[in-house]
Amino acid sequence: MSEYAVESRARERFPLGWWGVAMLIATETALFGMMVGSYIYLRLKAPVWPPRGIPEPKLVVPLILLGVLLVSTLPMWRATQSATPKRWLLLALVLQAGYFAMEVQLYHDDLQHFTPQQHAYGSLYYTLLGADHGHVAVGLLLNLWLLWKLLHGMTRYRRNALRAIAFYWYAVAVLTVIVTLTVLSPAFAR
Amino acid sequence: MTTTVTERVDLLERQWAERPGVLGWLTTTDHKRIGLLYFWATLVFFGAGGVEALLMRTQLAQANQHIVGPETFDQLFTVHGMTMIFWFIIPMTTGAFGNYLVPIMVGARDMAFPRMNALSFWIFAGSGILLYAGMAAGAGPDAGWFNYVPLSARLFDPGRNIEIYTLSLALNGMASTLTSANLIVTIFKLRAPGMSFNRMPLFCWAFLAASLGLIFALPSLTVDLLFLYLQRNLGFHFFDVAHGGSSFLWQHLFWFFGHPEVYILIVPAFGIATEIIPAFTRRKMLAFPLIAIAEILVVFIGFGVWAHHMFATGLPSTTLVFFAAATSMVVIPSTIQVFAWSMSILTGRPRFTTPLLFIVGFIVMFVVGGLTGVMFLAIPFDQQVTDTYFVIAHFHYIIFGAAVFPIFGGMYYWFPKVTGKLYFERPGQISFWILFVGTNLLFFPMHIVGLLGMPRRVYTYPGNVGWTSYNLLETVGGYITAIGILFLFANLVVSYLRGAPAGPDPWHGPTLEWTIPSPPPEYNFATIPTVTSAYPNWDGDAPVSIALDAGHKQHVSTISDGWTAEIVDMPHASPWPILLAATLTICFALLVVAKFMVAAIVLVVVGLTLVGWHMKEPQES
Repeated sequence: MSEYAVESRARERFPLGWWGVAMLIATETALFGMMVGSYIYLRLKAPVWPPRGIPEPKLVVPLILLGVLLVSTLPMWRATQSATPKRWLLLALVLQAGYFAMEVQLYHDDLQHFTPQQHAYGSLYYTLLGADHGHVAVGLLLNLWLLWKLLHGMTRYRRNALRAIAFYWYAVAVLTVIVTLTVLSPAFAR
Repeated sequence: MTTTVTERVDLLERQWAERPGVLGWLTTTDHKRIGLLYFWATLVFFGAGGVEALLMRTQLAQANQHIVGPETFDQLFTVHGMTMIFWFIIPMTTGAFGNYLVPIMVGARDMAFPRMNALSFWIFAGSGILLYAGMAAGAGPDAGWFNYVPLSARLFDPGRNIEIYTLSLALNGMASTLTSANLIVTIFKLRAPGMSFNRMPLFCWAFLAASLGLIFALPSLTVDLLFLYLQRNLGFHFFDVAHGGSSFLWQHLFWFFGHPEVYILIVPAFGIATEIIPAFTRRKMLAFPLIAIAEILVVFIGFGVWAHHMFATGLPSTTLVFFAAATSMVVIPSTIQVFAWSMSILTGRPRFTTPLLFIVGFIVMFVVGGLTGVMFLAIPFDQQVTDTYFVIAHFHYIIFGAAVFPIFGGMYYWFPKVTGKLYFERPGQISFWILFVGTNLLFFPMHIVGLLGMPRRVYTYPGNVGWTSYNLLETVGGYITAIGILFLFANLVVSYLRGAPAGPDPWHGPTLEWTIPSPPPEYNFATIPTVTSAYPNWDGDAPVSIALDAGHKQHVSTISDGWTAEIVDMPHASPWPILLAATLTICFALLVVAKFMVAAIVLVVVGLTLVGWHMKEPQES
C-alpha cells in the first residue's frame, strides 16, 4: 500500500498549467514588444506616416471593438470564480467571437484601401493586426474546446485549464490594447 | 499501513517503467531519456559543424586554393555558425545537460511538462533535418549566420537558401522556447522541500538565467525571421529602404537577440564550472550569492548592449558611446565570477582530474576572449577590426573556449552518473591537453592575421599578403582539435564498455544527483529528500519529507522557500509530441517552397493533433 507523509506548508495558488501559460505570455509579450518597437522605429525614420496615398486609420469602430474585448474579460474572470462556469464562458465566447468577426471585416475593408505590399507602413499595420487577431483566434478555439469539455462536467484538470485560459485572455486583452493604440496612433497624433 | 523500502522501490519501478525498444524512445517523456536524445542528436550536428569547419580550414591552409568554390564556402561558414550555436551549444546545454540534470538537482522526478519536453526535442530534430535537407539540396543558408539584409533579400539571394534559414531557425527557436519555459517552471515549482533559492545549486541558477534569456530574446529573432519571410515571399517591405523600410531594422532586431544569445551560450558553462570546482577542490564555492546574482546579471545586461555589433554601420556617436559604456558593465559580473572560480580553486585542495582541467582551460580561454572583448569597447579599434579574423578569434575563444570546454568537462564529470561507469583518467587528461593545444593553435593566430587585415568570410586569398603561414598554423590547430575531440569520445566509448563500476557518488559531489544510484532510476528519488543547504550531499543523510509511491506522482512546491504545496499526476509516455513535431516540420517544409495552401491544410492536421493530445485527461485522485 502507498504511504503519504506530505508536509504541506502552503496551498498553491496557481497550478502548473497556469505557470506554463505565464511563460507563453512572457515570450509573446516580448514578441509583440519587438513588433511594436519595429513600428515605432520605422515611424520615427519616416518623413510622413502613414505615407501619402494611404488613409489614416479610423478611430471610432476599432476603439468600440477594443472596449468589447476588454469587457469580455469580465465574464472570463467570473467563470474562474463560479461553480457553474459554463454560462459565463459562453457569454465571454459570444463577445469574443463578435469582436473577432468585426475585426476580420475591418481587416478586409482596409485591404480594399491599401495593401501590405504598398509601403512598410502597410506591412507593419497588417502584420501587427494579423498577429493580434491570430492570438484572438487561438483564444476562441481554446474557449470552444473548454466549453465542450465542461459539457461533460467539471474536473480538477478542467478547472486548471479554465484558470490558465482565462489568464491567456487577460494577456491577449492587454496586448490588443497595445497593438490597437499603436496602429491607431497616427490618427491620435493628427 | 506502511511499506518497506524494497516494496516501495519495486512499486516505483513498476509505476515509472518505460516502454521497451525503439517505440519507448520515440514516445518517452522521461527527462533523462530526452536529455540523452538531445545529447546524441546534438553530437551529430556537432560532427556536421566540425566537418564544415575543417573543410573551411583545409581550403584556407594555403593561398589561392579552390577545394570548394565561393558558393559552397558561403554555405559552409553560414551553416557552420548556425549549427554550432543553434544545433550544438544551446541544445547541448539546455536540452541535454539541463534536461538530464536540473530536475535531479532540484529533487524532482521529471520536468514540469514532460510531454512538452518531448515535443521540444522532436521539433528540434525536425528543425535540424530541415536545415541539412536544404544543405543537401544545395540550398543551404548562405548569407552568414546573421544573414544581413539586403544581402539576404530576394534580389541578391533568389534561391530558397534564405527560406531554409528563416524556417529552420524559427522551428529551432520554438524548441528552445519550450525547453526554457519547462526549465523555468521546473526550477520555480518542483524544488525539493527546503530548497529555497539560496540553497539552489549554482548550476540551476545558471540554467535559470539562460532560460529567462531565451524566453525574452528569441522573440526578437522570430519577429526578424517573420518579417524577412514575408518580405521575400509576399512582397512586404520591412527592410526595403525604397518603400519606407530599413535594413538597420534587421540588424537591431537580430542583435537584440544575438547578444543576449552569446551570454545564453556561456552561462550554462558557468553553471557546469560551479559544480565541478567544489567537487574537485573539496570546498564550497566562494561568494555563492554573488555568483548567483552575477549569472543573472550577465544575461540581464546582455539585453542592453546589442548595438556594439553595429559600431561600423554609421550610427550616431552618442549611440556608440552609450553602447560602449553599457557593454563595459558586463565586465563586472564576469570578473566577479572569474575571481570566485579562481580563488575557490586556489584556496581549496584541488585534484586536477580531467573535469577540473577542462574548467581551468575554460577560465584561461574565457579571460583571453574577455580581454579581447574589452578591446572592442574602444570604438575606433572596433571599427578597424570589424569583419576581420580578429573578431573570429575573439568569439571562438568565448564560444569554443568558454562554452564548449566546460561542456567537455561536464561530459567527464557526469559520465559516471549517466552510465554507471568510471572513465579512464589518463586518456581523459591527454584529451584535454590535445584540445587545449589544438584550440589555441587554431584560434590564437587569427588575432594576428586579423590585425594584418584578413577579412572574414573570404573563400581564398592571395599569396603575397603575409597571411599564409598563420593560416597554415590555424589549419594544423584545427586538425589537432579534431583529433582531440575524437580521442575524447573514443575514451568515453571505451570507458562505457570497459570502465569500472562508478557507484552512486565517485567524486563525493555536493548536489542531489550524487545521492541516487548511477544511472538514476526512472523515478529519480525513491523518497523526496529535504534540503538544508546548497550542498545537500555534504550534509549527511537528509530527512525524508515525502514518500510518493501512489502512482506517477510529483510534488509541487511554493516558489520562494520550496515547501510542498500539492501533489500532481505526471503524464506517461505519449505518441502525440512526436506526431505534432512531425506535422509541424512538414508544414514548415511546405512553407520553404511556398506551398501555402497545402501548408494550411497540414496546419489543420497540427491542430487536430493538439486536440488528440488533450483528449485524455489525468485521472482524478
